[in-house]
Amino acid sequence: MNDIQLPAIDYAALLPMLIVFGAACVGILVEAFAPRGWRFVIQVSLTIGGLVAGLVAIIVNRDLEITTIGGAVTVDGPGLFLQGAIIILGIVSLGLIAERRLERGGPFVAEAAHAANSDGDKRQEREPGATEVFPLTLFAIAGMMLFCVSGDLLTMFVALEVFSLPLYLLCGLARRRRLISQEAALKYFLLGAFASAFFLYGVALLYGYAGTVSLTGIREGVLQSEQSGILLAAGLALLAIGLLFKAAAVPFHVWTPDVYQGAPTPVTALMAACTKAAAFGGLLRVFNVAFETTAWDWQPVLATVAILTMVVGSILAVAQTDIKRLLAYSSVANAGYLLVGVVSLNGAVGSSLFYLIAYGFSVLGAFAMVTLVRDSEGEATHLSRWAGLGKGSPLFSALFTFLMLGFAGIPLTSGFTSKFALFSSAWDSDQSVLVIVGVLSSVVLAFPYLKVVVLLWLNPPGEETPTVSVPSMLTRAVIFAGVAVTFVLGVAPSFLLDIVADAGPFLAK
Amino acid sequence: MTPDYYLILAAVLFTIGAVGVLVRRNAIVVFMCVELMLNAANLTLVTFARINGSLDGQIMAFFVMVVAAAEVVIGLAIIMSIFRSRRSASVDDANLLKY
Amino acid sequence: MDGYLGSYATLGVLLVVAGAFFVVAYTANRVLRTNAPSAAKSTSYECGLDPAEGSDWAQAQIRYYVYAFLYALFAVESVFLFPWAVVFDGLGMVSVAEMGVFVAVLALGLLYAWRKGVLTWT
Repeated sequence: MNDIQLPAIDYAALLPMLIVFGAACVGILVEAFAPRGWRFVIQVSLTIGGLVAGLVAIIVNRDLEITTIGGAVTVDGPGLFLQGAIIILGIVSLGLIAERRLERGGPFVAEAAHAANSDGDKRQEREPGATEVFPLTLFAIAGMMLFCVSGDLLTMFVALEVFSLPLYLLCGLARRRRLISQEAALKYFLLGAFASAFFLYGVALLYGYAGTVSLTGIREGVLQSEQSGILLAAGLALLAIGLLFKAAAVPFHVWTPDVYQGAPTPVTALMAACTKAAAFGGLLRVFNVAFETTAWDWQPVLATVAILTMVVGSILAVAQTDIKRLLAYSSVANAGYLLVGVVSLNGAVGSSLFYLIAYGFSVLGAFAMVTLVRDSEGEATHLSRWAGLGKGSPLFSALFTFLMLGFAGIPLTSGFTSKFALFSSAWDSDQSVLVIVGVLSSVVLAFPYLKVVVLLWLNPPGEETPTVSVPSMLTRAVIFAGVAVTFVLGVAPSFLLDIVADAGPFLAK
Repeated sequence: MTPDYYLILAAVLFTIGAVGVLVRRNAIVVFMCVELMLNAANLTLVTFARINGSLDGQIMAFFVMVVAAAEVVIGLAIIMSIFRSRRSASVDDANLLKY
Repeated sequence: MDGYLGSYATLGVLLVVAGAFFVVAYTANRVLRTNAPSAAKSTSYECGLDPAEGSDWAQAQIRYYVYAFLYALFAVESVFLFPWAVVFDGLGMVSVAEMGVFVAVLALGLLYAWRKGVLTWT
């Protein structure tokens, strides 16, 4: 019985994740024992403190390249970069989650199960809002960090669930429009669980094929296995379904608009920025490490998915009448551009990472501004209500216009530099068809953005134009960060491009 | 008896679960179908552990059971909250969000 | 049907055949069947239980739902505790500490539930 060896654990490599997980656990204790009045302050400082400490640990680890805990975790350049990106985007989106001035008690409630306007709900109206959202957010972020550095598919599955489950809950905790919010949570949960079942069955088939689930083991197993190639193909296909669902690629995107629209806007922002980074981190790692040697087999299929995603996302974005749905379809189209980076393999890892940062900041800024346009019912997200906002609120409209131009890929914004970097590296990797489709679809995608700009400035205001609320410093900081990064990465992208170039390829041994 | 039969059984269970998710209307039944899919994957893992002569697959099945339990808790909480506020668990009635 | 794109051609043919099968079967059905619509026929039907409207399963006491949660918590614990208990004396104090951390994390959830008053019988 004594032949079991404990795997060596490099705690330094795991430190960033341990800090964030630990902070989340302490957050639960705070929730259980701290007096109600203090919880909000304690939770916000604990959450931000935990994330900043995690970021510091990542920066200290920046040159680390190691596989630890028996191959379960692979810390390497791109993995650390993605972890850092997720933490930074998480800190920024926390500004939206902690915003309390726009709505009394914040955008979340503690007990979403109360029917609207019931006695329990009215009592809840008077209380300060839920602070459970902070530990939940921390758990989600920690799960995403683990997802990006998973060295085997089982760890990846566990991490996938660790970051998905809190997100399902966060979707259903909106203070306003609770039925829609719960519906979004239900849809996201059922479809997400469905997709993760596919992921798991894919893992099981790959285990049968290669005899192991470690990514490097599968890479070697591909060359040596005596099992039928059908196991490999079916396993890879099912695995990809699970991953592409989280990345919101067509035809696995149908949850995206509903969930983005129904979830509380701060959570939508978190999903659009951080979940996207995590999902593509996982996709890049799986395809670059485990399946690079079989690229010839899956590249045409994934390229088809990428083309479908770009085309369907950008065309459906044109038809949207709700700003959150518009941004959701734009995130689908952007998933298509990022898939071009995945198909291009090692040549485009760096530019994909750059794209994730650039897109994440822009989309956080955009959703932050969506939270400001309000009437007595809460956020006014229907586009017709936005007509003529430029007259009453020129600063708001100018900033939103800048972000829309950034999404459209106008030069001097990060939208241009990130697309340029991504497409040129894909071109160098001989993916010219994808690049051409990408450029054409981004022309189509520019149309809905410009439609919003025209609506803001040129259309006459409607009868009851909503007002642009004045937020606290937190949301202001988020908007500033979003706009500033969109601008800085547009004019001086080289420092970040240097960092992603330094990150190097995924560790594949 | 060859282990292949277990793989086929698992594939059949997985397919039944997947079809069930697509055609059933009660959120709880949909959710049970997802659990069926996870268990089909578990059966596959254990069978391959037997074929490969290693214990890894059985350990993985433990992890999957734990994750599935966590998923049950979250799923029931969400379905409970939507049932309380709407008095219905039909996925067809959850129709406020559409284009 | 060979060469690199040949395998995709096979897949394409299969998809076309599958689509054609679907169309032909349903067209034949439509042509051959009698057509007598009634209101009862257009209600939804699921085998085993009435169409989901909520009323048919609301009779379960809501408080048992807490039991389901607690069961999940302890089931999760035992799944790892049993295999560990068989081998832990060969692994030394490190593994005891690690299992302690695991149980502590689960206990955290129980503690939270207790403080929130979930465990009182209402």
